[in-house]
Amino acid sequence: MFGSGRMMIVRPIRAAPEQESNKVEESIKSAPEMCADDPVSGECVAVWDEVEELSAATSHVRDRKKESDPLENYCKDNLETDKYKTYDN
Amino acid sequence: MAACTVYSTQSLRTNISIPTSSSKTHVGFNQKQVVFYTKSNNKRLNNTSRYLITCKASDSQTIVIGLAADSGCGKSTFMRRLTSVFGGNPDSNTLISDTTTVICLDDYHSLDRTGRKEKGVTALDPRANDFDLMYEQVKAIKDGISVQKPIYNHVTGLLDPPELIKPPKILVIEGLHPMYDSRVRDLLDFSIYLDISNEVKFAWKIQRDMAERGHSLESIKASIEARKPDFEAYIDPQKQYADAVIEVLPTQLIPDDNEGKILRVRLIQKEGVKYFSPVYLFDEGSTISWIPCGRKLTCSYPGIKFFYGPESYKGNEVSVVEMDGQFDRLDELIYVESHLSNLSSKFYGEVTQQMLKHADFPGSNNGTGLFQTIVGLKIRDLFEQIVASRAETPVGATKA
Repeated sequence: MFGSGRMMIVRPIRAAPEQESNKVEESIKSAPEMCADDPVSGECVAVWDEVEELSAATSHVRDRKKESDPLENYCKDNLETDKYKTYDN
Repeated sequence: MAACTVYSTQSLRTNISIPTSSSKTHVGFNQKQVVFYTKSNNKRLNNTSRYLITCKASDSQTIVIGLAADSGCGKSTFMRRLTSVFGGNPDSNTLISDTTTVICLDDYHSLDRTGRKEKGVTALDPRANDFDLMYEQVKAIKDGISVQKPIYNHVTGLLDPPELIKPPKILVIEGLHPMYDSRVRDLLDFSIYLDISNEVKFAWKIQRDMAERGHSLESIKASIEARKPDFEAYIDPQKQYADAVIEVLPTQLIPDDNEGKILRVRLIQKEGVKYFSPVYLFDEGSTISWIPCGRKLTCSYPGIKFFYGPESYKGNEVSVVEMDGQFDRLDELIYVESHLSNLSSKFYGEVTQQMLKHADFPGSNNGTGLFQTIVGLKIRDLFEQIVASRAETPVGATKA
């Protein structure tokens, strides 16, 4: 019966490469201990700045990978082929 | 190319141009004078003629544009639109086209990632940046001298060995502090500040980071909050120096909208800037409120709203053009373009054409794309005016 109320978790199709993702994750994990003593200390703030820098870098990598997806590139050049024709009913 | 003046012993003065291919440009080419000796075969001239040639790099017509943005460096959408306006390839992986070179100001970090953590300093803090070097190198490039520019590697967080940067026609310095140091500020021919409001920043960062393992709503919020003090102390004040500010705010068309999809974007243009004539709606200097949707133009929800008027911003006289809403169709775009004045476009529909060319870029259906494109045209216009004004001076000198 449709609508049983089950929740589906959709995994993002494009996640950044492992290495970059790990860096972001590690950085975030290190934040609580750096901020434990003083949340406005230079050390705490610097860690969150690092998180921001790594997140930005990771998203750029993700975008670049998206741009070099061979299927995307094929599609861009071949919109008139049968595969991409859309029909409005 | 170098413009050279030839002096012969007979005190004949002629201007000649000696083309030098760019591959022959030397690092730190400091020679200002080259002396040539020729032996004439003509027996009527008894002695060898000596010629003294003094050369000046006439391509020191480099104009410098400053762009302040917190989006992290690299090929941001703004840069790609700018490159496209100038006729470059916005999809190329290098930041260098024939006309334009973009320098990411992170390259002038004096502390790498580890260094900053040790000292407890963010990248936003001036203490993490070498403004002396930034000034020296931007000045050198502006004077037509190549430099060895350091490279900050965003992946490793380390400072890599430098790379050669040759003076281009247009140099764009992009980053957190293009207008922070007054000496660098004075080198800028035009400056832009991209001001994203906190709500929009939060919404964008959620979109960017939620797919990332390790991030949560709390971590995204914490990161923004932690950086806020430094941002407000060091980055935000640069707004008052910018010739153009693009302010991105949440829409006012949808009450309590927190998706951040529909945006209200304001183009704040400083008055009295040389070579820069602000864009306006209908009647320059007046205040206009304009809803283009109606009998002639049908728009889908929530529609489009424009505002234009003079204001005072950070102690400066400015003209503001504001767009709230989204473009859904081509005819909306062209309709709006046809009612804007002083766009510095080269043909009717150029703005629309540029927006459509990059319909896949973020912001292509709202004010961010519109105003970034318009600023791109303004920069092109500024560049052409500066080149034209500098071209007049050598002609004047030879006549004297």
